[in-house]
Amino acid sequence: MRKYYPLTAAQKLHHNWILRYKTQQVSGVSVVASLKSALDFGLLKKCIQLEFERYGCMRVRFTKPDENGEVKQYIAEKETRDIPIKDLSGMSLAQADDLMQKWAYETFDKDNIPLCDVTMVKLPEGYNGFFIHMDHRLIDSSGLVVMINDLMQLYTHYRFKSAYPQDMADFEAVLVKDLQKAGNEKRFAKDKKFWEDRLDALGEPLYSDIQGPSVLEEARKRHGNPKLRAADIELENLFVQVKDYYLEPEPTRNLIDFCMNHQISMTNLLLLSIRTYLSKVNNGQEDITIQNFISRRSTHDEWTSGGSRTIMFPCRTVISPETEFLAAAYEIQNVQNRIYMHSNYDPALIEEEMRKRYHTPEHTTYESCYLTYQPMPVKMDNPHLVNIAQHSKWFANGAATKKMYLTVSHTEHGGMNFSYHYQTAQLEEHDMELLYYYMMRILFKGIAEPDMSIGDIMEQV
Amino acid sequence: MTKEMQFKEIVAQYCNVEPEEMENEMRFREDLGFSSLDFMSFLGELEDTFDVELEEEEALKVLTIADALQLLERLTV
Repeated sequence: MRKYYPLTAAQKLHHNWILRYKTQQVSGVSVVASLKSALDFGLLKKCIQLEFERYGCMRVRFTKPDENGEVKQYIAEKETRDIPIKDLSGMSLAQADDLMQKWAYETFDKDNIPLCDVTMVKLPEGYNGFFIHMDHRLIDSSGLVVMINDLMQLYTHYRFKSAYPQDMADFEAVLVKDLQKAGNEKRFAKDKKFWEDRLDALGEPLYSDIQGPSVLEEARKRHGNPKLRAADIELENLFVQVKDYYLEPEPTRNLIDFCMNHQISMTNLLLLSIRTYLSKVNNGQEDITIQNFISRRSTHDEWTSGGSRTIMFPCRTVISPETEFLAAAYEIQNVQNRIYMHSNYDPALIEEEMRKRYHTPEHTTYESCYLTYQPMPVKMDNPHLVNIAQHSKWFANGAATKKMYLTVSHTEHGGMNFSYHYQTAQLEEHDMELLYYYMMRILFKGIAEPDMSIGDIMEQV
Repeated sequence: MTKEMQFKEIVAQYCNVEPEEMENEMRFREDLGFSSLDFMSFLGELEDTFDVELEEEEALKVLTIADALQLLERLTV
């Protein structure tokens, strides 16, 4: 008999965005993975169909909301759909990317339908592969990378007789374990206390915008409340642009070395650079909150079960300008370590608590910046493919729920990619240029002189 | 199963080292490849499995398998 399960906190995050912004587009995730090689598309199709069997999250569907608006999930036993093939080889690579970008804007709009489309593609310049378009409630980017690797291991097994890939963890079993964890009352009480203690200690957060204090000032005027500490969320025009910046391998190495020598994680170093920029452009504001995404994949089962395991928590720090750069990094790390310990909590409850305590107006927020740090590049990690050129690309879903969302990832050649997704209703490319420029200036000034104070760094960069 | 082996089986879910190959001096981060998030999730798993409560300050001082085992021993006596 089919079993129905509630949504996990990570799934609810995307589900609530769909409800708030009234479009499933905000929950789309798409990627193309291809090789500069002639592929046996008949075999590839067989492997994709096999992947649907192996990777249970690809078969997840959602029920129609009940009378209370509650949605449940279930796992369809089989996916019998054909896997289409599209020939884009007559175009330029840029034109093909543009077309796939349009596919990424498509939405899954009904209940009880498959939320995962895979299309095989013949691309220009001899590249061949597949385009995957899914709902983020089913999978996150790490889960997609694992899926792509597994799929290509299946392909090389049948094509070149390489070893059959190891079994993936059962999605349903991991889901059940996650829901059990979330239902553990003792753990819940501890997590709740942690998050409420933070608010008791620090009080209401204060919004800080990439564009400076004028944004909060305007929100204060609009709401007729000169003491308002939150700013409005853009709900109408969700269009998003993406601006990527590439940091070369040598400076990337310097950042990694600094992290290793001082036992600081890259996430915390990045958080420090963003918060220092926000402080700089907001008249030295000391109380800064950034939403940081955490991918809850630690055990082997969590890594190979797929699913949406990415969840965001507010990283709030109050750092005075006299604090030295390295001390500030440790302060962030200390906060983040405690957050990790309580990351089973549903972040929607933190927001709910703040609204209750501070009467925060509907559709306002305390954060303008969101960060995801992805240590893993999108690369088909397979010895049979090691000498074959690859073309992989993530496609934005075109509808941002966040004013500025930065994804930092490592490239296969040792550099780092800084991908800024920004709402065009309020931001321009120039804002991203400034943000990247200052982030780099702050980072490299800080790692060169870690005992320099944050105030001096803000002045000097 | 002994408490130590049960503990090592949990550790093994987070890394590529078999319980039998684990040595007490092994450090979670440097030798077993735990990230900060892995380590904190692991502590949560210990709390649930052994029904103990870890103090954050104390937990953050744990560096090696031996440290964790000693802490667990103290809490489960």
